[in-house]
Amino acid sequence: MKRKAYGRSAGLSARMALTMFLLGLLYVVFFIVLVQLFNLGLGAVIVLMAALLGLQLFFSDRLALAAARAKIVERDEAPELHDMVERLSAMADLPKPRVAVIDSDVPNAFATGRSQKRAVVAVTRGLWQRLERREVEGVLAHELAHISNRDVVTMTIASFFSMVAAMLIRFSLYSSMFSGGNRDQNQLPVWAIMFIVSIVTYVLSYILIMAISRYREYAADRGAALITGQPENLMSALQKISSDMVRIPQKDLRQVAPMNAMFIVPTSWKASFGQLFATHPPLEKRIARLQEIALEMGRPVP
Amino acid sequence: MGLLDALFGKKKLKSASLDRLFALPTARVTLEVECGLVPAGAAAVVFKPMSTSEFARAESETEQLLDAAAAESGSKLERRTDGYGYVWVIVHDPDFEDLVTSTHVVSSELQAHGFGEQLLAAAFRFDRDERPVYLIYGYKRAAFWPFVPTGEGQERDNALELRVKGELDGVLPMEQDLSRWLALFDAPF
Repeated sequence: MKRKAYGRSAGLSARMALTMFLLGLLYVVFFIVLVQLFNLGLGAVIVLMAALLGLQLFFSDRLALAAARAKIVERDEAPELHDMVERLSAMADLPKPRVAVIDSDVPNAFATGRSQKRAVVAVTRGLWQRLERREVEGVLAHELAHISNRDVVTMTIASFFSMVAAMLIRFSLYSSMFSGGNRDQNQLPVWAIMFIVSIVTYVLSYILIMAISRYREYAADRGAALITGQPENLMSALQKISSDMVRIPQKDLRQVAPMNAMFIVPTSWKASFGQLFATHPPLEKRIARLQEIALEMGRPVP
Repeated sequence: MGLLDALFGKKKLKSASLDRLFALPTARVTLEVECGLVPAGAAAVVFKPMSTSEFARAESETEQLLDAAAAESGSKLERRTDGYGYVWVIVHDPDFEDLVTSTHVVSSELQAHGFGEQLLAAAFRFDRDERPVYLIYGYKRAAFWPFVPTGEGQERDNALELRVKGELDGVLPMEQDLSRWLALFDAPF
């Protein structure tokens, strides 16, 4: 694992990764308890999970806005921001999303909403104040690309499948242990095996989902380059955001921490948990990909 | 195709469609009689320049061609960059049909060079009781919509806009999704 100059807040990063991990673990434990207590079948559990995630998806805009303490702003409150969002969404052939502002000094942005019509783009006050207009535009285009790629739905469905997979493995183990009948005294207790298997499948699926999330980030960077026609704006924005992140005191960072997966740059970079658990790819890789796209875009038309 | 592209994040920008621009001259009578909109002899093509040398070359070629065409037809051209980095090619021509043709030439030249994705909109200015009323053509939507700034901050006269849309439905391809009605408050003409 490489240490990055900007990855100084190792403790914070670890805390955040742990929080997200534990949150997911809570889901798994919740369902194990449900199964054991109420003796629910596999089908019922999956339906229940789908319903919960469906609710989460349906209320994604309200949940995310409330969690980040973002406020929807009307046109007269932020005319320039509205102009930029409106034009970029016309370039991307999207309906204009709602615009929200987060009262934070950390430059960052996120997009959420269950559909393109219900989408919201939120930016922090810090983003608007610390970045140049063309850089803000690059960031907004990145968020619009998330909306265009339907990333909220994609990630919710991905986590649903990973949970179902974890359940299936647990159930098949459960039934094979009771139908096999070949048990001796030296074996671990059944609950311990099930517990370990659940954790292992959960860790694996968590890593997988983080990998998908990083891939979607590259895709959104690419989309931003296409929408603006100027990949270098996003490059300089990313550089500015991530260097600012380190300078700002941690107190501020902690307030926005739970929203990480949706932000353009996580509020701090992966450190002790390693790259496998990062929601976003490292800065230099994103910059390198954007440079490739810039080259690609400069090529003569066939 | 579209779904898979979205799934793998390979979605491309939608390209421009220009053909329906030519519907505009046929709606002129409706515009003038039913809506009270008199052509003001000005229109603009708005596009987002790319930062590549290839785009710069296409743009300068387009410019040369336009200047030649403008000199012939008697229209005047102006070029501006707005605060958001978009380029406005403004065409002045008292003849409405020439005006539409010139805006079509600007956009089709960019598209011929492979930069049709960069086209944002074309705006046509009309006057109604001394106030500007714009008819905007969205290249990606292949449809028109009205834009009436009230002149007070960023406010638009929605009542008039909806009336104009009502009159033009059936005459012009109008954008039905109101969330797509892009505003151009800083139109420099």
